[in-house]
Amino acid sequence: MAKVIGIDLGTTNSAVAVMEAGEPTIIPNAEGGRTTPSIVAVNKAGERLVGQVAKRQAVTNPDNTIFSIKRLMGRKYDEPSAEYDRKMLPYKIVKAANGDANVKMGDKDYSPPEISAMILQKLKTDAEAYLGEKVTEAVITVPAYFNDSQRQATKDAGKIAGLEVLRIVNEPTAASLAYGLDKKHDEVIAVYDLGGGTFDISILELGEGTFKVESTNGDTHLGGDDFDQRVMDWLCDEFKKDQGIDLRQDKMALQRLKEAAEKAKTELSTVQQTDVNLPFVTADASGPKHLNITLTRSKLEQLVMDLVEKTIEPCKQALTDAEKTTAQIDEVILVGGQTRMPLVQKKVQEYFGKEPHKGVNPDEVVAVGAAIQAGVLKGDVKDVLLLDVTPLTLGIETLGAVATPLIPRNTTIPTAKSQIFSTAADNQPSVEIHVLQGERPMAADNRTLGRFMLDGILPAPRGMPQVEVTFDIDANGILNVRAQDKGTGKEQKITITASSGLSKDEVDKMQKEAEMHASEDTKRREEIEAKNTGDSLAYQAEKLLRDNKDKVPADLNAEAEEKIAALKNTLNGDDTEAIKKATEELNATMQKIGTAVYQQQQPPPGGEAPPPPPEGGEGENGGDDENTVEGEFKEV
Amino acid sequence: MPEDSQENENIEPENESGEIKSSGSLEEQLAAEQQKAAEYLASWQRAQADFINYKRRVEQERSEFNSYANTNLILGILPVLDDLERAIEAMPAKIAASEWGEGIKLVEHKFKTILQGQGVIPMISVGETFDPTIHEALRQEKGEEGIILEEFQRGYMLGERVIRPAKVVVGNEEEEDNPNG
Repeated sequence: MAKVIGIDLGTTNSAVAVMEAGEPTIIPNAEGGRTTPSIVAVNKAGERLVGQVAKRQAVTNPDNTIFSIKRLMGRKYDEPSAEYDRKMLPYKIVKAANGDANVKMGDKDYSPPEISAMILQKLKTDAEAYLGEKVTEAVITVPAYFNDSQRQATKDAGKIAGLEVLRIVNEPTAASLAYGLDKKHDEVIAVYDLGGGTFDISILELGEGTFKVESTNGDTHLGGDDFDQRVMDWLCDEFKKDQGIDLRQDKMALQRLKEAAEKAKTELSTVQQTDVNLPFVTADASGPKHLNITLTRSKLEQLVMDLVEKTIEPCKQALTDAEKTTAQIDEVILVGGQTRMPLVQKKVQEYFGKEPHKGVNPDEVVAVGAAIQAGVLKGDVKDVLLLDVTPLTLGIETLGAVATPLIPRNTTIPTAKSQIFSTAADNQPSVEIHVLQGERPMAADNRTLGRFMLDGILPAPRGMPQVEVTFDIDANGILNVRAQDKGTGKEQKITITASSGLSKDEVDKMQKEAEMHASEDTKRREEIEAKNTGDSLAYQAEKLLRDNKDKVPADLNAEAEEKIAALKNTLNGDDTEAIKKATEELNATMQKIGTAVYQQQQPPPGGEAPPPPPEGGEGENGGDDENTVEGEFKEV
Repeated sequence: MPEDSQENENIEPENESGEIKSSGSLEEQLAAEQQKAAEYLASWQRAQADFINYKRRVEQERSEFNSYANTNLILGILPVLDDLERAIEAMPAKIAASEWGEGIKLVEHKFKTILQGQGVIPMISVGETFDPTIHEALRQEKGEEGIILEEFQRGYMLGERVIRPAKVVVGNEEEEDNPNG
C-alpha cells in the first residue's frame, strides 16, 4: 500500500514529509532543498516553472509569476482582503464567472486551487522520486483561520494534483503533533509562528486527543524579512558614517549587503558576534572601499527589539479572545525560521511564563506534524508496528574481567548476534558464560543477567577451541544466550526475561554512571588489554621456543627466555607502562628469532606458527570464519 | 471552525479476532488465524519493501555524498574567490604591471585551478540566454530581451549540479509584444 505524505502548503515556502519506519522524515525536492518556494510561473515559451526555478526568473517575468497564491485561496474577487492583494501583488487578479478571485498567468486564467495544485504536483513528483513509489494520498495543512471555502479550495487543489486529501489539518495543530502533545490531556497550547513574512499566534485547547482552535491572531506583514531590512539599514548607515558613501545608491553593493545581512542575522542566533566583511564593496575617486563591521548579538537585538515586541500585542488579543490568561497556558510551541533568534525565544518565554518547545526544525515542524497525522490515519489499516530498542549494551565477560559487548545499546529488536570466542588456558575444559548488561567496560561494574557453564571442551592449546556465543532478543525483549563448542557440537543456553525489567530510572542511572566513569574506565580497559597482549605474547613465545628447539640459535634462545621472564614478572604487577615496554622488547626478540628460523630455510611450522601478538580483539587464527573475533574466556 | 480529531485510540490489539470468548468452533478459530496470518504476511512484505527502498536510497545518497560532499566547503570558499577577483579587477595599473601584482594574479590562477581540479566549473553568463535553472535574475534593464547583460555574481557548477546560480541582469527590450502592463 502506498505511503501518505504530509504537506505544509505555505504562503512563501512549502515542505513535504513522510513517515518512514515510524519516524517523520522531510523529503528533499529535486533540487536538493528541504523546502520549496510556493511560486509558479509560465515563461515566454509557454513552459511551466515551479519552485526555486520560478523564483529565480520572477523579476524577468513579473506578470506571469504567481506567488502568495495562498492569500487568494477561496476568496471572492470583491472581498476587501482580495482587493488589498490586488493592489499589492504584481500579477493580474481577475474575476471568475462564479465571482471567485482568479489569476492571469500566460494568456490563461487560473483559479487559486489550480495554481496551488501545480505546487502540490511538484511536491508529489519529488516525493515519488524520493520514495520510489506512487503517492496518491496526502494530509495538507492550512492556517487555523481558514474558513470552510478556503479549506475546500485547498482540498480541490489536492484533487487537481492527483492527490486524495485524507485530511485538512490546522498548522498549529500539526506543530503540536510534531511535539507529541496529542498524547497529553486537557491542555492549553499557544503556537507562536514567526515566519519570513507573516506572524500568527494560535491558542489551542487539547481535549481527548482532539485539538480545538480557540482563537487566532497575528500580523500578515511582519516577519524575518523585516529583521533583515533592519540589519541592512544599519550597515548602510554605519558605512555612510564611516566612509561618507551611501551604499543604497549602488545596486551591486546593495545586493551583496542584503545577503551579508541575512547571514549575519542567522549567525548571531548561535554566536555572540560576527564580522560583516565585504572587501571592495564600492569605490570612489580615491579608490576601492571596504566594508568591515562587527555586529554583536546585543546590537542586533537593539535593532529589532520593537519588531519582536510587536508580536506580543496579537498574543494578548488571542488570549483575550480565547478567554484565557497566560497562567493557563500549558505549552508553548515555536514555528517559523525567525523563532530561532534567542531574543524571540526569550520574549515569548517572558510573556507566557513557560519555556517554549524547541528541537524540531521550526521551518519543518508543520510538515513533520502533517506526516505524523498521515501516519496516524494510515495506522487505521494496522500498519503501526512498534519496535523497541535495547536500552543498554548486552555482552559477556572475557579474559581480564572485561565486558565484551555483543549487542550495543539502542539496537532495534528483535535482533541476533553471534561471535566466536576461545579459551584462555591450555587444556581448559570448560568456559563460563557470564551475561552482562551495561555500558561499563569492566564486567564487575555491569549488571549480571545470568551465567552458565559450557563444559566438555576437548583438551587443546589456548585459543584453539571455538565457542560460538549467540545472543538473540525477541520482540518482547526476552534474551536467549546460547554457547556452542564448534568442535564437539555441545551446547548450553539460558533464557533471560529480566533484561526488560529495568525501569527507565535504572537505565538512566546506568547510562549516567557510564558517562561519569568514562575516562577511568578507558584507562582500566587499556591496562587489561596491555596485560592480555603481554600474556598472550609470553605464551606464544614459550610455545615457539618449545616447538622449534633445534632451529633457534642458542644466544637468541637465552635472550628470549630472559625477556619472557621479565615480561611475566611485569605481568604480576600493575605497571601498565612496564608491561607495554616488556611486551615490545620480547616482540623485537621474537622477530629476530623468526628471521633466524626462516633464514635456515626451514618451512614454516604448520598453521600454529605464532603470528604477531593479537592486538585488542583482533583475530588471531585467520581460520575459516571471517567473522571470527577473538576473545578469550577467563579460565575457570 | 473545523477541528482535527486524533484517532489515537486504535492501538487496541485485535480484540475481535484474537481472544476466544466461548469455545468457538474450530473453523471460526481457523478463519481468524488465517486472517491474522494474511495480515502479518502483508505487514511483513511491506516492511521488507520499505527496507529495500530504504537501502536503495541510502545507496544513492551515499554515491551522491561521495560526489558532492565538498559542496558546503566550496560554497563557503567561493566568496573569497569573488573578493580576490574584485581586488584584481580594482588593481591600480601601476601595481598590476609590477612583479607583486603579477604574483597576486598567479595566486588567483592557482585558486581557480585547484577548484577546477575538484570539478568546480565557472559559468559563462554574459551574452547567454537567461535560464532560471542556472541563473538567478536580480533585475531587468534595457537590452536584448532574455539575454544576460551583466553578471553580479558568478555561477558555479560542481560536476552536473548547479551549486551556485549566477546572479544576473537580464534584458527586457521588447515590451510592445506583451501588452499587459
